[in-house]
Amino acid sequence: MTSIHRRSILRGTGALAAVGLSAPSVLAQAGKPHAGTTINAACFQTTYFDYLRAYFPEFEEKTGIKVNFTMQAFPVYNQRTDLELSTRGSALDVINVTFIYSGRWIGAGWLTNLDTFTKDAKLTPAAWAPEDFLGGPQSAMRNAKGETFGYAWLAGAMIQSAARYDLIEKAGLSMPKTFDELLKVCDAIHGKEGVAAFTADRLHHWNWIPYLMGMGGGVFKAPPENLTPTLTTPEAAKAADFYANLLVKYGPDGILSYSDDQAMRSQMAGRANIRTQDAVWMVPLFKHAESTVQKTVRYGLMPAGPSGNYPGSNSHALGIPAGSKKKEAAWEFIKWAVSKEIITRVVREHAYPGIARLSVIQSPEFKQVLTLNGQDVAALYLEVLQLGGKTGYMKYRTVPVFPQVGDKINKAIERIATKQQGAADAMKQAQAEAIQDLQKAGIKIDT
Amino acid sequence: MSTRTRTNRFLLQALAVTLAVLALAPFLWLLVMSFKTNAEIFRFPPRLFFEATLDNYAHLWTSEFRRSFSNSLIVATATTFLSLLVGVPAAYALSRWTAPGGNAITLWILASRMAPPIAFTIPYFLVYRHLELLDTLAGLVVIYLTFNLSLVIWMMRPFYDQLPRSLEEAAWIDGATMWQGFYRIILPLSGPGLAATAILCFLFAWNDFFFALILTRTEAMTAPVAVVNFMNYEGWEWGRIAAGGTMIMLPVLVFSFIVRKYLVHGLTGGALKG
Repeated sequence: MTSIHRRSILRGTGALAAVGLSAPSVLAQAGKPHAGTTINAACFQTTYFDYLRAYFPEFEEKTGIKVNFTMQAFPVYNQRTDLELSTRGSALDVINVTFIYSGRWIGAGWLTNLDTFTKDAKLTPAAWAPEDFLGGPQSAMRNAKGETFGYAWLAGAMIQSAARYDLIEKAGLSMPKTFDELLKVCDAIHGKEGVAAFTADRLHHWNWIPYLMGMGGGVFKAPPENLTPTLTTPEAAKAADFYANLLVKYGPDGILSYSDDQAMRSQMAGRANIRTQDAVWMVPLFKHAESTVQKTVRYGLMPAGPSGNYPGSNSHALGIPAGSKKKEAAWEFIKWAVSKEIITRVVREHAYPGIARLSVIQSPEFKQVLTLNGQDVAALYLEVLQLGGKTGYMKYRTVPVFPQVGDKINKAIERIATKQQGAADAMKQAQAEAIQDLQKAGIKIDT
Repeated sequence: MSTRTRTNRFLLQALAVTLAVLALAPFLWLLVMSFKTNAEIFRFPPRLFFEATLDNYAHLWTSEFRRSFSNSLIVATATTFLSLLVGVPAAYALSRWTAPGGNAITLWILASRMAPPIAFTIPYFLVYRHLELLDTLAGLVVIYLTFNLSLVIWMMRPFYDQLPRSLEEAAWIDGATMWQGFYRIILPLSGPGLAATAILCFLFAWNDFFFALILTRTEAMTAPVAVVNFMNYEGWEWGRIAAGGTMIMLPVLVFSFIVRKYLVHGLTGGALKG
């Protein structure tokens, strides 16, 4: 009896060992070459990945890869990831490539070239269609040679919203299409029913640039090749004066300290009317349960200046750190997370408004999501993203030194708005400070 | 008491109350905000009376914040305890040091505070990664300990300088060992100083954001970093940020309240030496 038991145990143990030893190859044959691998992924706090997390078990079931996904606040994430990448760490396998850091991270060689995966038919089927990602959002994720280091899960497009469009209609006007019309509308509606005509957040180096470009100016001479700042031009001074005037004359009290969220809340509460900002911040005016302006909000393109229309666009993408030791498993995750099927599902089930795949943007599901108060906001969104892709005017933003230069712009606009300096002087100071920073970074500038 | 004196006293008291209200207004605002919904927070003009909600606190309890709060408590308490355990005897020894070099050593102990924390960021990060101390509570305790030790030694040494040597010498004559003299005679006399030093150590570890930001990820994340995580890309959770901020203030308030009678004495003790 005892020996039978022992044999059974030995047989059972042997069988288990055999299964255990052959498990990876069996799983590999079953299409799970990375089964048992755990990848570490990180992004800033965002609803897209909140939604996606609910689908992770499906990915894990399909590939056998376990995903350890963490999210932190935007500044926290950027700080930590920058440090991790700069020290060539292998703690992270998939990261969000933050738009304003993309130039720095790609330029420094801290990210993996994803073309090696997309060009290998064994790793990426043709149906995954990398060309389906819009050129505008993707341009920030490429280097000068055109190699790709990230695939966008978020595409931001700056549009215009009027939370209390009824006030504009009452004044006999319509959505402003030019800077002059914007001033005219603001003049007509400011203070009506206690509503400020304009609102914005304090990230002037994002909000102000379309006004600068619309008036014929630019941040740098010819980014990314020539990064000589061009903040002392008459156009820059004029645009800075125009924008600071919008903030001070037509903004609600405290506007100069507003965060993104506070500016959005000022519109949602019906305290402020017009804002030019990323669509992600505009959609809640119609969709958020706490919005008091759901019935009155309307949308339009960013107003154009004498030199044209330059609405901001940005993107955030998934990429693989150069130091990762599980790159193929990481690519499996990226492939899945920004596949047509998953993006369509997030749009359909959660009405997510900021995506970068053209086929999904043109789908009925997305159009339905962005049909707000009868307006086809999806069409506005696509128009902005394509505008950014066509001429590449957003290249100024992904150069590695933009964060430093942007900081100088923020301070200059604040000085103008608070009347500490005139526009020309403030921009002159910003230019001098920016040049100092650029020279410290070893960047050659025109003298 | 003359009418004029009474009036002056009343005016001074009114001024003190006004200043106190002004100083406490931001905290009061934060506290009130933590009981509001997001819609109520952004109501303009704000209402004095509103329907209070505990939702923000309930969310803290069910979210990652709870663990971060525990991490903060563990790290701050352990740091305070270890800093005092190592620093107080060191301060005593330096106070009684008669050989040359004592003052130089005391000065060099301050070296850890001679540069801003950012200067240590990358070296610490690399060493911690190598030692696998990243995202660990032990790692944070070690960092805070290095910074707190100089504080403890520099705060406690003047207390011991003030205490006459004859006290411990009397104990030694009565048969006490050096350690007993310190533990039974000197230490109880330095109670106010210990309380003030402990609270400053606790505050430093409790409020630190920078090192917790750089050296933790998820497992050892502390409350100040966790609060920032309520700032989502698409919108901030103001009520939860306020509730988190209130919760972060609470232990410090309680701790300060417990040791308040020692605090003022402790902070001014050693200031006058004569």
